[in-house]
Amino acid sequence: MNILEATNVSVTFESYGQEIKAVDQVNFELPRGQTIGIVGESGSGKSTFARVLAGLQLPTHGAVSYMGKPIQSGKQTYQGALRKEVQMVFQDPYGSLNPRMKIVRAVAEAIAQHQALDKKESITAALELLRSMGISGDDAYKYPRSLSGGQRQRASVARALSAQPSVLIADEPTSAIDQSAQSQLLGLFNNLIQDGLSIVLVSHDLSVIRYLSDYVYVMKDGVFVESGKTEEIFSNPKEEYTQKLIASIPGRIL
Amino acid sequence: MSEQPLVIIDELKIDVRLTRAKRLPIVDTATFDVKRGEIIGLIGESGSGKTMLCRSLVGTLHRRGAYIASGKLVFDGIDLVAAKGAQWSEIRGKQIGYVPQSALAGPNPVMLIGAQIEEAILQDKNFPKSKVKERAIELLNIVQIRRPEVVMHQYQHELSGGMKQRVMIACAIAQQPQLIVADEPTTGLDVTVQAEIMRLLLSIRAEFNTSIILVSHDLPLVNQICDDIVVMHAGTTVEKIPSKDITHAKHPYTRALYDSRIDLVEPKGKLTTINGQPPTVGSWPAGCRFSERCNFVRDECRVPQTMPIIPLGPDHYTTCIRYTELDK
Repeated sequence: MNILEATNVSVTFESYGQEIKAVDQVNFELPRGQTIGIVGESGSGKSTFARVLAGLQLPTHGAVSYMGKPIQSGKQTYQGALRKEVQMVFQDPYGSLNPRMKIVRAVAEAIAQHQALDKKESITAALELLRSMGISGDDAYKYPRSLSGGQRQRASVARALSAQPSVLIADEPTSAIDQSAQSQLLGLFNNLIQDGLSIVLVSHDLSVIRYLSDYVYVMKDGVFVESGKTEEIFSNPKEEYTQKLIASIPGRIL
Repeated sequence: MSEQPLVIIDELKIDVRLTRAKRLPIVDTATFDVKRGEIIGLIGESGSGKTMLCRSLVGTLHRRGAYIASGKLVFDGIDLVAAKGAQWSEIRGKQIGYVPQSALAGPNPVMLIGAQIEEAILQDKNFPKSKVKERAIELLNIVQIRRPEVVMHQYQHELSGGMKQRVMIACAIAQQPQLIVADEPTTGLDVTVQAEIMRLLLSIRAEFNTSIILVSHDLPLVNQICDDIVVMHAGTTVEKIPSKDITHAKHPYTRALYDSRIDLVEPKGKLTTINGQPPTVGSWPAGCRFSERCNFVRDECRVPQTMPIIPLGPDHYTTCIRYTELDK
């Protein structure tokens, strides 16, 4: 069974009386333990779709289901025990961490929220989690502003993982960080995949997608124009748009 | 006898003024030349001093409280270290064009695109006013903006990221500069747009024989576009290497950057990562600043010293004293 499934999802925004279709009747499935990549240019609707999957944006039409059950009831999504199953990592790590909270507190707070632990235990658990993300004890007691971009992004991954989710939705996790920090972060994602986490990876960087995903969806103007196994998409892209994307990878040795 | 390089940067040191007596070095030291018509890629992690080095070339260091402490900075025979206000206004924008980092915040939000480009053209006081509009449209055509007549009457918020960056490039080339300094011109843009902007820079070079300094932290990109690559780490230029020789880098940092490319490994294969974090400004290790992260480090690397520049070819030098041992 697919752990996450979207059927016929559309999202329409209204702008100056005009209807803009950000996502247009999209079907999507995420089998358990797999990593699915979504690629496309800015404005193609991939972030909006990721937000629908995470329950942060209500679809205008269609539905998302988790393990066969719809995530939406009324205007609420992921209620009760479902809430912690799907977590999201955002593009800009600086904007998604509270600047007035030390990293360890930001993570401990999320742990206390999702697991039945008292304050002291949650801090111990947070330190442990941060250490597994490669953030040492000293750095854990710093504010986000004192950390490097890569460390901040790993801290926000730690915070998403504090709920012990089964699905992680990562929206452009590597686009705001340096190349060396990027390889550290991708190594981390790779470990999470080995541990059985299911991941939806949204990116416009095809080399990242190629490295991590099992299956790729190519999005353009709110529609999936092509989808397939990663190696097939990269070795034999059918759509002109996909070919253009692949040809744009700088200095590609594929 | 080869001709004189357009830009000579020799042991340039840039300090920031913290208090009356306290100085903090942020570039210490940078050395490289830019020949006419050459594209130099300047790469390094955030905080390695790339942007400050660029600012020294357009004389805007003082706006960040920094100044050139020592060293040589020569552009087309003019000593830029000693250059004063009036001299700068003859150089900045006219002979050296600057494309700033944040494309999306680039153009003035309350000025029509046309007005901004006309302003850039009228930097040249002798330019005939009647021809300004014509020239503006010509520039927009050079940077391959479709329907330039319409774009002239638009504001920046009506343009896409790629178009904004093209407008910034149009302003930078308005005076046909001999050098363009492009500071991470494609950060935050899509790969397809990035490829278009790079093609545009190449075509400008081909047409006007402009030299370009392209700042980036994307090694594959720089390697594809540039003639030579200058690698910065913790305020120092650690290696200058022709792009074609990148696989034979003679500095462990350049190698580590190259090896950490994810497009080189099998999907889900083992990634090579660079150990640790880049050292922060003010707490650089004595001796080789890469020593804390280097796999080849020996005691002699940690001895407090200025790392020597070891020439290996006409466009190749390294500052690693153990470079001969890297291949063993």
